Amino acid sequence: MIPAKKVLNTLNEHWSVLELLFKRFKMTDFSVKDVQNIIKHKNPQWTSERIFRETNRLLNQEIIIPLAKSSQLEINRAVADFASFLLQEEHLGLAQEITVLVKDLERLGNRLEQAADEGDQSELRRFSRIMDERVRKIIKLFLHNENAIFNIVEQAKSDSSSISLQKRYRAVIEAFDEYIEPMLEMVDIRGEFHACFNVIENQLSQQIDDIELYGRGAQDKRMLEQLRTRILDMHLVGRESLRKSADMLMPLREELRRNSLITRQASKVLAMIRKNGVDPMLSPVQPEFVSDIQRFSLGQQRHMVAYMAGLAEFEHDEYQLPDQSDVPAYQSPHIPDYADVKKSFSNTGKTKIALLGFLTGHYPDLDADELLFLYQKLISDEALELAQDEQRVTVNIAEHDFSLYPFNASTKIEHTNDNN
Amino acid sequence: MTTINLTELTELQAINKKLASGYHISEQDTTLWQQLDQNIGAYQALFNALGHDLQHDARGFYYLASDESTPNMGKISRAIALTLFILIEHFANQGKDPLRAIFDEPADLELMQTLVQLNKHLFDQLEIFSGSDLRKDVYLRMIRLGLAKETERGFIHLAPVYRYIDALMEVNDTNFDGLEEEV
Repeated sequence: MIPAKKVLNTLNEHWSVLELLFKRFKMTDFSVKDVQNIIKHKNPQWTSERIFRETNRLLNQEIIIPLAKSSQLEINRAVADFASFLLQEEHLGLAQEITVLVKDLERLGNRLEQAADEGDQSELRRFSRIMDERVRKIIKLFLHNENAIFNIVEQAKSDSSSISLQKRYRAVIEAFDEYIEPMLEMVDIRGEFHACFNVIENQLSQQIDDIELYGRGAQDKRMLEQLRTRILDMHLVGRESLRKSADMLMPLREELRRNSLITRQASKVLAMIRKNGVDPMLSPVQPEFVSDIQRFSLGQQRHMVAYMAGLAEFEHDEYQLPDQSDVPAYQSPHIPDYADVKKSFSNTGKTKIALLGFLTGHYPDLDADELLFLYQKLISDEALELAQDEQRVTVNIAEHDFSLYPFNASTKIEHTNDNN
Repeated sequence: MTTINLTELTELQAINKKLASGYHISEQDTTLWQQLDQNIGAYQALFNALGHDLQHDARGFYYLASDESTPNMGKISRAIALTLFILIEHFANQGKDPLRAIFDEPADLELMQTLVQLNKHLFDQLEIFSGSDLRKDVYLRMIRLGLAKETERGFIHLAPVYRYIDALMEVNDTNFDGLEEEV
C-alpha cells in the first residue's frame, strides 16, 4: 500500500509532466523513453540520472503502470480519471450508461420497499444508501456529459481550417444522435425515466407516510426524505443539462446541414451547367440588376426635380371605371345596319341581280373590306336564296379588284321577303 | 401614407446614383447605409413612386430589384453567378466551410488563376481565359455593383453575394426539367 500523501506529493511535483502525458497520449500507451523525454523537456536542467530516478518514482508509486505482457506503459486508470476531471477533458459517455443506472435505481427501489414491508431497518438503510450513491453517480454523469459536449462544441468551433467540415462536425453529429436524442426521449415527460421516477417517488412517499403513521424507525424518515428530494432534483438536473447540451449542439448541427446543402446544390448546379452550357442554365435564375433603361430614365437632376414636382402636385383621384352591364354595343361607324341592307336588297324587286353590283351601287361610300363584310353576311343568310355563278368574274369594289365566283340572288326573293 | 420629408433625405442624390446603376448598398458604405437605415420608409415610398422597387435585405444590404436586365448586364450577372458557384465548390473541395470561406477568404489573383484553370471549359463560354480576365471581367464589376471590395490581400465578398446564394438554392429539378425539354 502506497501512502496517499506520498502519491499526492508526486502528482503535485510532476503534474506538468503528467498533464502532457495525458494530453499527448490520451488513453493510449507509451514507452519509458517517452516519459523520460517529457521529464527532460519539462526540466531541462536535470541530469539523466535524476530523470531516471524520477521515472522510477512514478512507476513505483503506480502512477504510471506497465501494460500487461509488454514493456509499454499507461497512466493508472484512477489517476487518468482524476486528471480528466481536473482538466475537464471529459469524453462523452453513453446514454445507456445512465439508462442502466436508472434501471438499477428502479430495482433498488423495489428492494427498499420490500425491506420496509418486512420492517428490516438495517436493510432499508443499506438500500437507501446505495440508491443515494446511484443518484449521485447519475448526476455526476449528467454533468460530465454536459462538459464533454461543451468540449466537443468548442473543438468544432475552433478554427482549424485544415480539417474538413465533415470531420470537424462528425463528433457533433455523433454526440447529438447517440447521446442527446435518446436521452431526451427518455427524460421526456412521458418517457421511461419519468415513469420510473414516479414509481420510486410513490414508494418513498408511501414509506415516509408509514413511518409517520406507525412511528417506527423515525430516524430513517429524514434519510428517505433526503433520498426523495435528491431523486427529484436529479430528474431536474438531467433535464436542464440535456437542454443546455442540445442548445449548444443545435446551431452547429444546423450550420452543417445548411453548409452541406449549399455545397451539394453548388456541385449539382455546376454539373448541370457543364452539361447544358452556362447561358441556358443560369439565365432563368441569375439575379437581375437595374437595367440601362431604368438607369437612363432617371438620375439626372432635372429628371428628379420634374418627378418631385409631379409628386407634389399629385392628387389622388378615384377613377370611375365603366359598369360592365351598361357598355353600349359596339357599332362600326361606317357599316350600315345589316337589317336595313337586307331589306333594301329584297326591295329592289329584281329577280336576278348581282349582289356585289347592288352593294357597290347602294353604298358607294363604304370601304372594300366593309362591303365584303356585308357581302359575306348576305350570302350566308339563309332567308335569301342565292346561287353561285359558274364563271369567274373580276369586279372592282371601292378601287380594289377582286376575282371571284359571285353569288347572285335567285328568283324567289320576293316570297322569302314576304315571310319576313 | 408616408410623408416624405425631402430635407431629411440628405443623401438622396448619392443613393439614387448608386442604386440606379445596379449598386448594392451594404454596411461598408457607412453614410449611405445609415441614411437608408434611418429613413427606409421614406426612401422606399419615394423610389416606389418613381417606378423602382427598393429592396431591403435583412442580411444587410439595399438594392433596386428588377425583373429583367439588359443583355449586357445579364451576361455580367451570369459570369458572377458562375464564379461564385465555382468558388463555393472550390472551398468545399478543400474541406472548408464554403459559406464562411466565401466571406472570410480574400480572392486573390492566384485563386482566380486556379479557378479558371480548373474550370476552363465553363469560363471559356463566357470568354474568360485567364485569372486576370476573371479579375477584370468579374471582380472589378462586382466592385461596381457593390458585391465585393478590394483590399491589399485580394477581393472580399460582401453581403449582397447572398443574392447569388439564394439564386443557387432556387435552382431545382423543375427548372432543370424545363431545360431538358427545351434541349
